[in-house]
Amino acid sequence: MNTKDIYKESPIVKRRKLISFFALSLSTAAAIFGLFWLVFILFDVLRHGIQGINWELFTEDPAPPGIPGGGLRNAFVGQLEIVFFATIMGVPLGILAGTFIAEYARGTKFAKTVSILSDIMVSVPSIVVGTFIYAILVKPIGHINLGGVVAVGFLSAIIAIIFGGILGFIVNKLFSIKNPATGRFINLLITLSSVLFGLFSFLYLMPKLVDKIQGFNGWAGAAALAFIMIPVVLRTTEDMLSLVPWTLREAAFALGASYFRVIKDIVYRAAATGILTGVILSISRVAGETAPLLFTSFNNSYFTMNMNEPIASLTVTIFNYAMGPYEDWHTKAWAASFVITFFILIVTILSRVIISWKYKG
Amino acid sequence: MKKIRKLPLSDLIFALISFSAAFVVLTLIFSTIIVLYNESSLAIHKFGILNFIFTVDWDPVNEVFGAAASLYGTLVTTVLSLILAIPLALGIAIFLTEISPHILKTPIGIAIEMLAAIPSIIYGMWGLFTLAPIMAEYVEPMLQKTLGQVPVIGILFQGDPQGIDLFTASVILAIMIVPFITSIARDSLNLTPNIMKESAYALGATKWEVVKDIMIPYAKLGIYGGIVLALGRALGETMAVAFVLGNNHQITTSLFDAAATITVTLANEFTEADTDIYLSSLFYLALILFVLSFVILAVAKFFLLKAERGYSR
Repeated sequence: MNTKDIYKESPIVKRRKLISFFALSLSTAAAIFGLFWLVFILFDVLRHGIQGINWELFTEDPAPPGIPGGGLRNAFVGQLEIVFFATIMGVPLGILAGTFIAEYARGTKFAKTVSILSDIMVSVPSIVVGTFIYAILVKPIGHINLGGVVAVGFLSAIIAIIFGGILGFIVNKLFSIKNPATGRFINLLITLSSVLFGLFSFLYLMPKLVDKIQGFNGWAGAAALAFIMIPVVLRTTEDMLSLVPWTLREAAFALGASYFRVIKDIVYRAAATGILTGVILSISRVAGETAPLLFTSFNNSYFTMNMNEPIASLTVTIFNYAMGPYEDWHTKAWAASFVITFFILIVTILSRVIISWKYKG
Repeated sequence: MKKIRKLPLSDLIFALISFSAAFVVLTLIFSTIIVLYNESSLAIHKFGILNFIFTVDWDPVNEVFGAAASLYGTLVTTVLSLILAIPLALGIAIFLTEISPHILKTPIGIAIEMLAAIPSIIYGMWGLFTLAPIMAEYVEPMLQKTLGQVPVIGILFQGDPQGIDLFTASVILAIMIVPFITSIARDSLNLTPNIMKESAYALGATKWEVVKDIMIPYAKLGIYGGIVLALGRALGETMAVAFVLGNNHQITTSLFDAAATITVTLANEFTEADTDIYLSSLFYLALILFVLSFVILAVAKFFLLKAERGYSR
């Protein structure tokens, strides 16, 4: 006997089932529609982009406007350079700040404030970041470049930290210090020398950079991208550090390790994959940013590696070429879009795979 | 957690360094608003606040600036893109949580999130070269023939469809913000306790009734958060809109007209601003955008935090 024959479906039940079927079909259609756009866009970028991909695109500089030929070597190199310096500035700062709020300041009001504010900053319009950097690093021409001074100070602080870290590492590897008093003394010496080193690099870099920078410059572009990276890296670091079980730290504390050692040798090691993935994701995020570069690093149709000058980037070049009147420019813009899109997609998918492999499997 | 009382020197140094890093991040955030205010103070003094917001003119030659046209464009594109994106995104989220076979959940979820990973400049270019012609050729004339004939809302669909207009920009924005709503809505829907769903099924509810009456009310706060977050994103989107909006400072009733948003105005005119008051007005626009998106994102964060607390109880 069929189950359907046990009771007769009342019209109300039939109607409810019909509504359910209809609504669920609609939501399936929504999913297909969403996927349709992704395929549409990617296929379109692929179709147009593949025509412009050739060896000259990477090895030659642009031809004069309107003349076919040439490549986008300047933009590729400029993009790499800007993103590289943005990473150098943004990643250490983000990781350190994330470490502070996840470890030393765990659970405090300060940590919560920084965390929530960075969460908001992750989504703040990137063009606003561009205007901010323009105001502090591009606009002040002639009179005192306060933003430049701050930026150089910031750069030398990072140099000092890296220097101190390397020095401490070398001293630790070369000598095994048993006496805690000597150890403390040597730590003090390392700190002092890295502070001095930072001061010297500040004094050395000041005239080299601040006075030379006139108007749009590559540093400003890198700073704008770093500004966008910092909250992303900070939040990932914080999340990844809080995933490390507290008992792991307690075990190390019980062995008499200082908190610094615990962070350095236990927590960082446990969270390394996660933090690295976050860094890679943040790089792929800023690699496609255009708006903050429009009026910081601007554009340059010539090849340059000098960050003190306006410097070409792929994204701004795409913008200018796509808006331009020449067919050849459009082809190049599509080719550049193709490269950038598939770079970002591959990096994003890879890091997602790494995360799910590390944290779920 | 207990505080460790005596810190060794290495700890002190590291704590100090990491604290200054956290402090620098805070300073950066606050200095953004201070610097933007400082740069726009010239325009704020000249035009005032309400006057600036409600002035439609944007006339660099006579040095009269008002934000109304840009704000109007921002408002229309954002609202329209939300109207288009919300049903689609919720539909996808429901599909991913309830309908999709288990094996397809992750690939489809990642694919939808890929939409968020595509750089906005790609959306812009694709919009200009591919979507705009399609819009001008097929979609917009069709809308004019159907919705354009309806008495009141017909005004929205007047004019000669060019494809470079508010409507195309909103469609692109909608595609861009769908993944934000989807991923948060999906995560919130997934948190519905199985026992609640099972109870509803036991009472004879259909799948849609479970989704509508159990899961969506349960995930309500998360979904609101996702929508407000998407709103904040749409507000500040620059490049995707810059290609297809035409930077036209006017308030039009038709969606088939070129317009300007705050972001488009900034992107197109920032490097061209030749007078102090022009530049200052642009900074003023940036300040308004910053404050607006900051507030909206804070609201989103508030919803999401509240939702999180609710679920963990």
